[in-house]
Amino acid sequence: MNHKIVTTIAGVSLLTTTGVASAAGELNLYNWGNYTNPDLVTKFEAAHDVKVTVTGYDSNDTALAKIKAGGHGFDMVVPSSSYVPIWVNEGLLLESRPDQMENFKHMDEQWINVDWDPGRHYTVPWQWGSVGMMVDTSVYSGDINTSAIVFDPPEELIGNINVAPEMGDVMTTAIMYLGGEPCTNDKEVLKKVRDKLMEAKPKWKSMDYGVIEKFAGKDLAASLYWNGAAFRSREKNADVRYGYPKEGYPLWMDSAAILKDAKNVENAKLFMNFIMEPENAALISAFARYANGIKGSEEFMPKDMLDAPEVVIPAEFVAAGKFTPTCPPEVQEMYTAIWTELQK
Amino acid sequence: MCVALSVQNRIVLAKSKTYSIKRIPGFTTVAIVCFFLLYFPMAPLVVYSFNAGTNIALWEGFSLRWYEAAWRNDLVQEAAIRSVVVAAMASFFATILATMAALGTTRTRPYRGQTVIYAVINQPLMVPEVVTAVALLIFFAIIKTSTEYYGLAYLVSAHTAFCIPFAYLPIRARLEGMDLTLETAAADLYATPWNTFRRVTMPLLLPGILAGAMLAFVISLDDVVITEFVKAPGQDTLPTYMLGQLRRQMTPEVNAISSALLAISVVLVTIVFLLSRKKTK
Repeated sequence: MNHKIVTTIAGVSLLTTTGVASAAGELNLYNWGNYTNPDLVTKFEAAHDVKVTVTGYDSNDTALAKIKAGGHGFDMVVPSSSYVPIWVNEGLLLESRPDQMENFKHMDEQWINVDWDPGRHYTVPWQWGSVGMMVDTSVYSGDINTSAIVFDPPEELIGNINVAPEMGDVMTTAIMYLGGEPCTNDKEVLKKVRDKLMEAKPKWKSMDYGVIEKFAGKDLAASLYWNGAAFRSREKNADVRYGYPKEGYPLWMDSAAILKDAKNVENAKLFMNFIMEPENAALISAFARYANGIKGSEEFMPKDMLDAPEVVIPAEFVAAGKFTPTCPPEVQEMYTAIWTELQK
Repeated sequence: MCVALSVQNRIVLAKSKTYSIKRIPGFTTVAIVCFFLLYFPMAPLVVYSFNAGTNIALWEGFSLRWYEAAWRNDLVQEAAIRSVVVAAMASFFATILATMAALGTTRTRPYRGQTVIYAVINQPLMVPEVVTAVALLIFFAIIKTSTEYYGLAYLVSAHTAFCIPFAYLPIRARLEGMDLTLETAAADLYATPWNTFRRVTMPLLLPGILAGAMLAFVISLDDVVITEFVKAPGQDTLPTYMLGQLRRQMTPEVNAISSALLAISVVLVTIVFLLSRKKTK
């Protein structure tokens, strides 16, 4: 009996050591879970004879912690815009100069001189989106383009509201709702933010991910959430609409970057150039259903995405959107204090 | 023998008249409520794994499509195989170490520092998982940069470490419940310590060892935090794969994977239960 178990385990362990890559090169991509289109990977592998290994993470902090520790074995990472300056300042990213790559000509001009990577010396856009108000319009038919939906909710919505459990997004939306600037350290404003959040919380049902099915099942009537999820939600419950708060709403962009201690720098550069090709950028968008930053990718994208108000921000709301900057540590600390109190 | 048995029975009877946990008012109700709270939330998870629609909370008819989808998904398959391999190897090593530790803490005369040893062995039960995870992350990073080795050994050794107490506790419990006179008798008959162990201790201990090994296996299979921090490129296990899904779109595929995992856990725990019941008979 014992002997049998030993042989089985030995056999199984042998099996695992034989999975050797057959391609000429390798590329280890460290990306958000369920964010990388398998077709994109297959296409790149076929085009460049490189074996791509995708490993997932669930938060910017996990990714940052792992890479900072060193000895991680990854070549590329896809941090959010608010985290890119931290990565650069910590010296974790390679100045790979995507702006000098061949396909940079496809880059949409509005994404070249961004605050977190001016001139694009480190990163290439992966996908971008916004934080806004998902509302079931069969429950509430009033104005949805305001953060009052969650912070001063109308009678119909009270008790059926969800808020994404994401500190940066919630704090920034609340600060802008009360007339402050993102990353403000104005104690007056923050006091108001704290009081508003505490006052609003009893009117909420949950602070949770995974809202699509709950809107479909009519368990939720409103949520502070991301646009891509709102889009997918509308496919299941036709009454769901996505509002862009006129008081201001956060924008985010995840960008691919090469790590300074990457082993396969050349393959990583090939991959960066590869995802700036409109057809390939469209593959990224088709999978996770957010917009990318590449001109001309529209013609390769699923048709339903092109006129979706969740993906293409209507002109009148564009100005209210702001990218969340990286807040200084002391500001971050105050936000964390409010957030901790809110979660009690 | 017969007399001894009836004496034992009488003691048991006498005991049950004076005190039995079953007689505490509301015992049955509390037990039922506890079991309900523990297991009921899993029922919808299993039910929706058979959903025909793409929604994890809206029933659209019975189908096995998500089991099929999970089965066909290369990432899921690789992660599942990796999970099982890591769990098998980690529980194997953890059980060997735990058996040695259990022998060393029960088959010796009490010595100074024994409590310290208990504390050290059971440390993974006390220390928050994320602390161990960060410590391992930093420690392994040093090894990885100097050796350039990125294999599965890191995950296996990390899992082995935190599985040891789970394997150790049932083995020690078994050792403590075993009749020492048999070992003494073997020694009396000039059996070498090794022979005593192989012919007497080991066979009696086997149910405990198997129970410990299976417990360790299940614990390793379920681990998220330490795995998330320790995994090298391409080393997603099923739990970390599912964690990655959470932020994006969840489909009943996750339910199907969870249900399958649940089934494996239930089967293993049942085997552990049956084995431990046999030993106390």
